[in-house]
Amino acid sequence: MPKQKLNPLPSAAFQILLTLAGEDLHGYGIMRQVAEQTGGRVRLGPGTLYSSLQTLLEAKLIKETEAHEDAKLGGERRRYYRLTSAGRKLACSESERLADLLRVARSRKILRGEYV
Amino acid sequence: MSEKIYAWLLRLYPSRFREAYGEEALQLFRDRSRDETGFLLRLRLWADLLSDLAVSVPREYFHVQPGLASFSAHLHPEGAPSFFVFADESLGPGALFFGGMLSIAALVTFSVLLNHGVKYVPLSALIRPAHSSSKARSSPSFDSSAPKTANNSAEAASESKQSQPPEAASTPSQPAKGAAGRVHGSAKLEVAERRRIVNAAAAILEKHYVDSDSGRKMAEVLRVHEKKGDDNQSMDGPAFAALLTQQMREVSPDRHLTLDYFETPLPQQVAGPTAEDFARYREVMQRRNCTFERVEIWPHNIGYLKLNSFPDVSVCQATAQAAMASLNNADAIIFDLRDNRGGEPEMVSFMAAYLFDHPEYLYNPRENTTEESWTHSPVAGNKLADKPVYVLTSGRTFSGAEQFCYDLKMLKRATLVGETTGGGAHSGAFHRIDEHFGMGIPETKAINPYSKADWAEIGVEPDVKVSAADALETAVKLAQTRLQKK
Repeated sequence: MPKQKLNPLPSAAFQILLTLAGEDLHGYGIMRQVAEQTGGRVRLGPGTLYSSLQTLLEAKLIKETEAHEDAKLGGERRRYYRLTSAGRKLACSESERLADLLRVARSRKILRGEYV
Repeated sequence: MSEKIYAWLLRLYPSRFREAYGEEALQLFRDRSRDETGFLLRLRLWADLLSDLAVSVPREYFHVQPGLASFSAHLHPEGAPSFFVFADESLGPGALFFGGMLSIAALVTFSVLLNHGVKYVPLSALIRPAHSSSKARSSPSFDSSAPKTANNSAEAASESKQSQPPEAASTPSQPAKGAAGRVHGSAKLEVAERRRIVNAAAAILEKHYVDSDSGRKMAEVLRVHEKKGDDNQSMDGPAFAALLTQQMREVSPDRHLTLDYFETPLPQQVAGPTAEDFARYREVMQRRNCTFERVEIWPHNIGYLKLNSFPDVSVCQATAQAAMASLNNADAIIFDLRDNRGGEPEMVSFMAAYLFDHPEYLYNPRENTTEESWTHSPVAGNKLADKPVYVLTSGRTFSGAEQFCYDLKMLKRATLVGETTGGGAHSGAFHRIDEHFGMGIPETKAINPYSKADWAEIGVEPDVKVSAADALETAVKLAQTRLQKK
């Protein structure tokens, strides 16, 4: 079932995979990172965020690491999430698929700019 | 506060999700509300949360079900009926308690509704007590509580409409009532049904209407309208009754003439008083001294009589005679009718007889002039015929008591002290057509010998206008002044 949920890969799940490519993050961190990398356009709500994380966990595209406190936020212990190799692979192939699309778009003069 | 609201909203998610991520979702909420302060950011936060809920809650539930469906299909190939619990944990004690309370509340509500809904109280049962205490004979009378007049019946019906909705509601469940038990309130009337009502109304008009020419004309108009199909645009009971009333008034603009629809079924017959009623009436009257509350001689030899109704002469003649005899030597009389709600015109006449030395005509808008319209004056041995009379009135003084006031005022026999009276001179009779339709029509209308209108609706104006509370004191002063002048 998780496989079905991720095919095609929902935008939220892809964004989460991308945020985790750099470092391990907790939920709020992921949310902020997504907002940052989309210029504030995408703010994942808790429902969407955690259901996506759940799906990704079930599909073993990410995994939970040991919970610990965020030095900046302090106080509570938080669950952190890390990209698995399968997740990295999926993010990679999805990026390539998008890059292909981008090429097509540019060749059709829909999007200006250099071929990547 | 807002965190509590969000925690509550989180309960919308399936328990599986709440257990796994509920705490983290709350944590995220706390983080965001700590970082995003200010009105606009807060607004954006809540907009995010709500849109997130709207999108993700259904998805959470939606994704559970295919799994369960395939699970159940897999387990029961024979198609035996079975139940599946969607949540994977057992019900919490809170849920069990809440469900239990809800069930009990539903059970209690149903049983209460059933008890009240099934009970059927005929209208006659509601009316009878009023009968027994006020009215014992069938002669037309002013009586505020008798159910005879159209207005009173309408009031009774509208009262029971308000106070007894279960009764009305129960009518359809009275199959024993048969065809007559149909409710027209909202249902449309059949042609045959309308024709029957029109014919019945026409017959009543022909037989009873005060002016028989107009009565016939109205009956004809009703029938013609019915034949022409003017009533055909199908309508419910109240609208049909209003239409017929309007048709009758085209002939005679008589506002006492009405055809009414009653939601509550009318009793078979407006029950006449029985011997039992009469016995009860007699007993009540004896116990209450025929409503002669006080009969006293006061300083300056002023006679004071407080009378709270004009009871039936056949029952209370002796009491009335005794009361008047005890006042016979008074130099002035005060009739206190401030709490008098009316009664029998004959008692009005009987009492008034003591105030004249010759038969005097007492106008009664309900009855044409008869022998009874004249007082049986002079009364043997009576010395009150030339004594000053004061009548105390209030807004409660009603009906027959108003006749007493009105006639004594018009004859310039008494000084009225107090408030304008209630204004009850209804002169109609009520005729039942069927369970839901009835007519109020004026049957007799005596010619008023006075140029002034009678007291219907407007009441009787006192000669000395003071509040009912001050009326007695004022009347006593007036009487004293007058007696001193002598």
